[in-house]
Amino acid sequence: MDRKEPTIDRVFQALGDPTRRAILEKLSDGPVSVSRLAEPFGITLAAVVQHVQVLEECGLVHTEKLGRVRTCRIEAAGLQVAAQWIADRRSVWERRLDRLGDLLAEPNEPAEEPEWLG
Amino acid sequence: MAEPTVIHNTFVLERSYPVKPERVFAAFADTAKKRRWFIESDDDHAHTVEHYEMDFRVGGKETARVRLGPGTPVAGLACTNDITYLEIVPDRRIVFVSTMSIEDRCISASLGTFELLPTGNGTDLIFTHQAAFFEGSDGPAMRKEGWESMFARLTAELAG
Repeated sequence: MDRKEPTIDRVFQALGDPTRRAILEKLSDGPVSVSRLAEPFGITLAAVVQHVQVLEECGLVHTEKLGRVRTCRIEAAGLQVAAQWIADRRSVWERRLDRLGDLLAEPNEPAEEPEWLG
Repeated sequence: MAEPTVIHNTFVLERSYPVKPERVFAAFADTAKKRRWFIESDDDHAHTVEHYEMDFRVGGKETARVRLGPGTPVAGLACTNDITYLEIVPDRRIVFVSTMSIEDRCISASLGTFELLPTGNGTDLIFTHQAAFFEGSDGPAMRKEGWESMFARLTAELAG
């Protein structure tokens, strides 16, 4: 399967499904064959295959077929992309509050407090 | 059945500033002071400020539009924050809602709360940011190539 670069849309849609999140949790313990992934969820193999395809398309998991067995493992890049995007929002605010600190460290103008009308 | 796609995230940031709450509050309430820390950029995260205005009162609006600079992964895209103030207690508390849009597409909505706590001659500032992040949706198209190139670069950085 061709690897595509993960986009934020696909990663968030993948993470939005509770079964796919549960699959990722299971895979965080180590690689699992696709057929064994179906067992805990009581869903068909076809349904698991579809979930795994969604996860693989956005780079959250990687699958590999050896003989007749397709094995899934977690792929860090996709999760880091989503986490990175959210972390960027936090770091924007971190920089803002740092700049606020720099501004407050300047000597205050002798002038006015701002007129605040409420 | 349709699947949920919104991701929710809350973070809390804290700072201690060696000035009284009145001065910290002034940096929020005065437009000239506010823009200096809120939208002016560092060299590493350069952008061009295209528009900024603030009406600091309950129900008042604040708009910041910047064009992301050539050093950023989403170079050339316009990023807009639209803010509405919900509650203001002078020198103590500021509560607002904000949306962020890239070009014309809203990508997140958040509730922000600033608490200013006096500490002797200083102020502890606590910022709580509760946000909903949206996936791609119908409506004006985002510049997908911009996002995809951003993620190509992020992926390369994470792998390297």
